[in-house]
Amino acid sequence: MAFDEMKSPDGGVRAPYRAYEHWLLSAAPETLPAKHAQADELFRRLGITFAVYGDEEGTERLIPFDPIPRILSRSEWRTLSDGCCQRVRALNAFLKDIYHGQEILKAGVIPREQVLVNRYYRPEMQGLDVARDVYVHIAGVDVVRTAPGEFHVLEDNLRSPSGVSYMLENRAMMMRLFPELFARHRVAPVEAYPERLLANLRAVAPPACPGEPTVVLLTPGYYNSAYFEHAFLAEQMGIELVEGRDLFVDEGRVWMRTTRGPKRVDVIYRRIDDEFLDPLAFRPDSALGVPGLLSVYRAGGVTLANAIGTGVADDKATYLFVPEMIRFYLGEEPILANVRTWRLSKPDDRRYVLEHLPELVVKEVHGSGGYGMLVGPAASQKEIEDFRTRILAHPEVYIAQPTLALSTCPTLVEQGIAPRHVDLRPYVLMGERPVLVPGGLTRVALREGSLVVNSSQGGGTKDTWVLEDDPC
Amino acid sequence: MLSRTADHLYWLTRYLERAENLARVLDAANHLSLSGGVDAVSCWAPVLAISGGTEAYDRKYGAVNGIDVISHAVLDWSNGSGVLSCLKAARENAHAVRSVLPTELWQAINAMWLEARTLDGPALRQRGLIGFGEWVRERSQLVRGIALGTMRRGEPYHFMRLGTFLERADDIARILQVMDDRRDAEAARQLRWAGILRGFDALQPYRAAYGSDVVPSRVARLMILDAEQPRSLHFCMDIVHNHLETLCPPCEGTRLAGAIHSSLRFGRLEDLLADGLAPYCARFVADANRLCNQLHVDFLMAS
Repeated sequence: MAFDEMKSPDGGVRAPYRAYEHWLLSAAPETLPAKHAQADELFRRLGITFAVYGDEEGTERLIPFDPIPRILSRSEWRTLSDGCCQRVRALNAFLKDIYHGQEILKAGVIPREQVLVNRYYRPEMQGLDVARDVYVHIAGVDVVRTAPGEFHVLEDNLRSPSGVSYMLENRAMMMRLFPELFARHRVAPVEAYPERLLANLRAVAPPACPGEPTVVLLTPGYYNSAYFEHAFLAEQMGIELVEGRDLFVDEGRVWMRTTRGPKRVDVIYRRIDDEFLDPLAFRPDSALGVPGLLSVYRAGGVTLANAIGTGVADDKATYLFVPEMIRFYLGEEPILANVRTWRLSKPDDRRYVLEHLPELVVKEVHGSGGYGMLVGPAASQKEIEDFRTRILAHPEVYIAQPTLALSTCPTLVEQGIAPRHVDLRPYVLMGERPVLVPGGLTRVALREGSLVVNSSQGGGTKDTWVLEDDPC
Repeated sequence: MLSRTADHLYWLTRYLERAENLARVLDAANHLSLSGGVDAVSCWAPVLAISGGTEAYDRKYGAVNGIDVISHAVLDWSNGSGVLSCLKAARENAHAVRSVLPTELWQAINAMWLEARTLDGPALRQRGLIGFGEWVRERSQLVRGIALGTMRRGEPYHFMRLGTFLERADDIARILQVMDDRRDAEAARQLRWAGILRGFDALQPYRAAYGSDVVPSRVARLMILDAEQPRSLHFCMDIVHNHLETLCPPCEGTRLAGAIHSSLRFGRLEDLLADGLAPYCARFVADANRLCNQLHVDFLMAS
């Protein structure tokens, strides 16, 4: 039995959910379905959608929203938040190190080839100093829970973690739909996220920036699946949402085309992957980026958030070493555990994994979005055998993990309220020190028994509450 | 503001205004066709001429009849000037700049689109062309009203107003031009001009100014020179010129707009129409087009 966020094994209700359960029992049975329908309608009208790729009509879909919140106590949150900050501090130190002295490689803590031949390692970054030594301005840490005090980190997202707009919009929706619940609970506010983010971005302007820094958000454009989020964040921060064609490089600086002529840009919160940023430096066929951007970046004329080359720290093989990084750079013990991970490039690990495929989850090292993975317990014999062939052909691109018993959270489904598996992505903002707003994006696997929470694979989202104190 | 943002805002309102005006023209044509005694071609051909889709229509449908013209002018996605195509384009432009639109404004545009996209032949028949026209006018005016009521009077607002009133002026000129081309019997002429006035909800002000007899030259006076009539060339260019003066007094576009505006502000109808109404309208459309190109140079091509 998976751990239930709401109910104890003895049938009692866990402390953070007591007031909620009381409300739920007193609410009319049609309340939740009615609010659910209302939320759908409102989200549709707001256009809170993600674009579906490969669809000529440019279909925009709603991410299913569940009206039952996931509730965490203050102390549970403190553990989580301290643990996430610790990881991001270590990952940031790691990035600075591998692009400078490479002490961790010299010490033999991480194999050299894991870093230096990694496809996300960017030699262009070697020896480059970034403003305030911040590489990871925004991180999304995916966490799952298996028992009351047991949180495991599934992965660290350090490139362009998305979903924070859903954290904010889900909260706004819940406050609109259930004002009485917010009167009963003291739910810690998440609204400060955009302000915090903007303050951090302004703080990392290039040292040579004259006057007030200009911050922009760079999007691939409105056909991108996360375009809603890009527009939302730009609007919330009051900054320009730009596409590559709005920017150009001249006299060692980046400029945007405005109705009043060119305007200098100092900090770019980019939601475009490294290889599309600059067709002169990376992929020449990309029209998303800005020709010459890298040269300005290297000369310290502009700040990119996150820094170029951070992907080397969030790939699933580097993930293995994060606990060691924490010990190496911070001299601390990890607060949050990693999930036991086997590397298929190692013969012993490979032997074990191949013998236990039906029990394990196998992932591509560079995969994301729930693609290219094998969920052993849910796979057919044929799928397992197919995967075995793929592993044998390229063992180095795979890792394997045990199927975790992800905790469940009560969720509204067609038949009523039922437990569904959840994970949690809190967002860490790195300035002088890392901070989190109290909350995150809870993703929920809507299909019974499913462990796949990705929105591209039919997952939904929930509002995540961190209680300020015990509810009254 | 980004040049691209200005461009999207400008086209957002142009497309919306175009949809509204086409709905008004369809309404007038429909009214005429229901009034009896006027053949289908006389009723519906002007719709095609105004929205610039005559050739595409001929290729696809052939003979002019009400059902086909309505299909073409409302539902046909391959017709970029059709009502639904315009609503779609308006929404796409809004989508690209939603981070600068007030939430209420974005929601109104998005809600309009969500309703429009479900429309097909059977749905349109059920609603009726009159009901549909009402809906388009209401949505368009709702969006304009929200913009008036919520937007800060900054650059985004000015570009939206420019789009609305340049499109409106262009549409009015095209309508008058087509009206003048018709060689109708006197009774049909009366009906047609009255229909246009009705479509633009200007019949009452016309009667108040000129009495119940609908005389083409007087309709032209109302729709060209009347500074107080919101769908007159003078009114539109007044607004266009004002916004450009606010945005950029020394710009070439401001000078061009000022020149067009002065001719309407100080010109005499007899002089303006010395060569006839249709040639005047054709010149106006060309001038407006030159102004639009200049706006592109003035604001959208910084580098």
